[in-house]
Amino acid sequence: MSRDAGPPFEERFLETFSNAVGVSGGEETVRAAVVEAVQDHVDSLEVDAMGSLVARIAATGRRRGPHVMLCAHMDEVGVMVTGIESDGRLRFRKVGGIDSRILVGQVFRIGKNGLRGVAGTLPPHLISRADRDKVAAIEDLYLDIGAKSREEAQGRVAVGDYATFDTTYERWGDTRKGKAFDDRAGCAVLASVVLRRPPVPVTAVWSVQEEVGLRGAAGAARRVAPDLAVVLEGTASGEAPGLAPEESAPLMGAGPALTVQDRSLMADARLVDLIERTARRRKIPTQWKRPGVGGTDAGRIALSGAGVPAAVISVPCRYIHAPAAYLDIRDARRTVALVWHLLHSLTKEWP
Amino acid sequence: MLRADERSTTEWLQHLSALPGTPGHERAAAREVEKAFSLYADRVERDRVGNVRAWIDGVGAPPRPRALLAAHMDRIGFLVKAVEPGGYLRLTELGGFDPRTLLGKEVVIHSKPPIAAVFGTRPPHLQKPGESERVLPVEELYLDSGRPEREVRRKVPVGTPVTLRQPPVSLLGGRIAAPAMDDRAGLVVLLRTLETLRQNRPAWDVIAVATVEEEFAAVCLGAKTATESLDPQLGIAIDVSHGDMPGAREGETVPLGGGPSLCVGGNIHPKVVEGLRSSARALGMTVQIEGCPMGSSTDAMDIQIAREGVPTAVIGIPCRYMHTGIETVEPRDVDHCAHLLAHYLGALPEEWRATEVLK
Amino acid sequence: MKSLAGSVDDLLPSLLSAFGPPGRESGVRAVLRRALRGLGRVTEDATGNLHLHRPGKGPRLLVAAPMDAPGVIVTRVDATGLARVAILGNRSPAELVGAALRFEDDARGILGCDRPKSGKNGTEMEADQLFLETGLGPKEANRRFRVGSVGAIEDRPIRLGDLWCASNLDNRAGCAAVVAALRAAGSPRYDLHVIFSAQSDAGARGAVTGAFGVDPEAAVVVDVAHVDPKETGGAAVGKGPCLGLKESGFLAHPEALALVKRAAAGAGVSTQWLIRESEGSDARAIRAARTGVPTALVAIPARRSGGPVSFVHARDIAQTASLMARLLTTPPKSKGGRR
Repeated sequence: MSRDAGPPFEERFLETFSNAVGVSGGEETVRAAVVEAVQDHVDSLEVDAMGSLVARIAATGRRRGPHVMLCAHMDEVGVMVTGIESDGRLRFRKVGGIDSRILVGQVFRIGKNGLRGVAGTLPPHLISRADRDKVAAIEDLYLDIGAKSREEAQGRVAVGDYATFDTTYERWGDTRKGKAFDDRAGCAVLASVVLRRPPVPVTAVWSVQEEVGLRGAAGAARRVAPDLAVVLEGTASGEAPGLAPEESAPLMGAGPALTVQDRSLMADARLVDLIERTARRRKIPTQWKRPGVGGTDAGRIALSGAGVPAAVISVPCRYIHAPAAYLDIRDARRTVALVWHLLHSLTKEWP
Repeated sequence: MLRADERSTTEWLQHLSALPGTPGHERAAAREVEKAFSLYADRVERDRVGNVRAWIDGVGAPPRPRALLAAHMDRIGFLVKAVEPGGYLRLTELGGFDPRTLLGKEVVIHSKPPIAAVFGTRPPHLQKPGESERVLPVEELYLDSGRPEREVRRKVPVGTPVTLRQPPVSLLGGRIAAPAMDDRAGLVVLLRTLETLRQNRPAWDVIAVATVEEEFAAVCLGAKTATESLDPQLGIAIDVSHGDMPGAREGETVPLGGGPSLCVGGNIHPKVVEGLRSSARALGMTVQIEGCPMGSSTDAMDIQIAREGVPTAVIGIPCRYMHTGIETVEPRDVDHCAHLLAHYLGALPEEWRATEVLK
Repeated sequence: MKSLAGSVDDLLPSLLSAFGPPGRESGVRAVLRRALRGLGRVTEDATGNLHLHRPGKGPRLLVAAPMDAPGVIVTRVDATGLARVAILGNRSPAELVGAALRFEDDARGILGCDRPKSGKNGTEMEADQLFLETGLGPKEANRRFRVGSVGAIEDRPIRLGDLWCASNLDNRAGCAAVVAALRAAGSPRYDLHVIFSAQSDAGARGAVTGAFGVDPEAAVVVDVAHVDPKETGGAAVGKGPCLGLKESGFLAHPEALALVKRAAAGAGVSTQWLIRESEGSDARAIRAARTGVPTALVAIPARRSGGPVSFVHARDIAQTASLMARLLTTPPKSKGGRR
């Protein structure tokens, strides 16, 4: 059992990863940031056929097992430019699950150069009362980059360019605000954990295209073929005004959230039990994620090959899949600690 | 009559679109597809789930990398679900027809021997008010074969496949309208590609696969199992893309006659699509770029995530009126797709890694 | 030797009352382990599937029967001690009103519904409209029922003439049929792998990993299918096992179907066709495993009651067992199959 507190949570990773652009299918910039963060601390590093980053770290004392896969996804939800109108306006579509209502009036950063565009619509003065209550379908929206013609726009953007919310990381008290905490929080937790050599062999995977069908994790899990897997996520906290406490779980600031079951996965009962006991032993507060909600890479990994026991540990975040998310930095620190101590528990208690 | 290997692209499109082969019953078309591929391939085989695979052996030093090309052999259709009093037949769908386009259409019921029938309709004179405002879902449609119930029950067992009966129509400009251009046009692209590669062998091994069950379930059975079995280093799906028509917004369609359409997005490996664009430039060929934010809805979706992941791309043939009996394509687009594909495959370097080692 | 029907009647009650919602199948696994003693080598895999291997000369055949049955998972416990649940598996909330539940630590509860049965705007009822009455005060309820507690439907099977009436017939009846067939089968003409699959009702998950592990040349799934004879071409309870032609994600492979039809004919069992639009089984996962597996589906017909209980004819279960026993002991005509 480890006596030390484990590696700290490196907030600089969260800030860099959160500000970086990486919509599902276009994760290169985030991947480069992760490479820079971890390359000196891992034994091998490769980019797989779909673009996921796979890092292998041998254990202290050359322990052979259990071989643990730790996984966080690099991609964020966003939009893609799908057409350029003759007057220079851009047509766009969602990448991943986004509430259409947040699109209107939103500022986006488009393409590799982060050109800014605004999702405009007719102002309230010019539309009927009835239309003001309707949610605009994305097919009827457009991005305005200020171009006056198709030719002018084509010089700056292309069909296929990705766009993300134009949000900058900020901090006050224990609260952190930024875009894409789902799952840059998990990416930062994972990058922090691998700064120290673990007590069991670990393969860390920063996966691609989770938000469009848990896709990157499929090939990665087959390649890694671990003995067990833990996915690190930034998950939807349940808080909103007027909700009873038990309806608000998990709560920001109440510790890492553990998954029992979601739409993609029945978490391995023994592994979840070990995680919970480890947390209690090390006095790390945890909470339960609401069952039946969402899906993660763990669902895909659990069904890889002849089956992999899998679990999910999440940093609770408010307003995921929206431009500005919140998290409590203490939850991120606790998640790093929990993962670290779990790795030590595994040396004694697995299988 | 022309020899098979002298057929024009138009004739191949007509020939292949006439073949049956609904999901799960592709064997009704497989024999003809095998014969076609055999004109040019080194060997042709059928695998466990019914995919037809045609090999072109490359000239590079072994072990050679393998490229998998996929066009789906199945065409949307129906199965007979029940025979009712009066001899009327009720159906279950295989793949997604546009139900607005079925009423009154002729079909072939693939019993032994095949029987013609029609989707029954009530003439306007006998309709209730408002009845013609409503689109009928498949469960409410029925087939009438014009035969007595006893004969129908004897000749048409439950589970018999049904396809639309519409001979190919030649339109102006060489365009052709027929059922099942999705994805028989893709099979013609494979055929023309094999023809070129046979004369101009690439370094890589190329396996053209006419896949099964692309139209039916969430997982493309043929594409997934063929990838698992062949372990390719690259996969390209050839399927139809929505052709231009009024009412579509910018970016939703590609022009007929505008050449191959290349998808970009998560389902597409940037290196592969860049290679295809480079080949197009070398050929002086116009291509369209299609944004696919949530995937391509083709065999490439299941090729990409099989095994340890496979770099994939999609080449789209512009096609109007998809999932009807009058799917419309331009043979010139089909030829261009094959031309592009063969050039790209010929230019592939022997040293190719799907993964990139950083440390 | 005990008749197949007798075998089934012996096995079914203990299978029906065994604890085994998707992902928590420990109870039914234990019952099955006992029932399978002496029939082959039994192991358990990472997804919770129970594997039986009976080595033999002949193609590698997989017989799969899901062992999980729908249950619930607690999503929260409110200030008054009432728990809310989400449904695990393929059951509608309206069907579970009034169901008695048993949880992993033997805690008990009854599902009620405190709002009108139809959902808001006249849509279907949602799981959140159910409440779990535990009879405990808020403190005690929170102690015994935490978020994530899993409960199974407490089954009290009744036999009405030839009809079994119980909540967990889907697919414990299928499991009973397979065990009875194994007992009757003597030496199978295959290298036989049987999987009692886990998490079938959560999307055929056990079938995905189990079939990958076995990598069979052919497969037969034994399941229960709810039918409605009033529906076009609908099958009926009491008219024999159903052979699946089409269901969600699955079309019968002709050679696997031929294998099953031959076995039915050889066993003198008359069968019905099954075409279903929106429901599916392990077959959709198994057919796509590895390089593809010719797969057939044999389904015992069942009828819904609108509540927790379903109806299955005892003869349909025995006939399914008979068909499967014949299949296992008939030499295959060809190895696996081409389409």
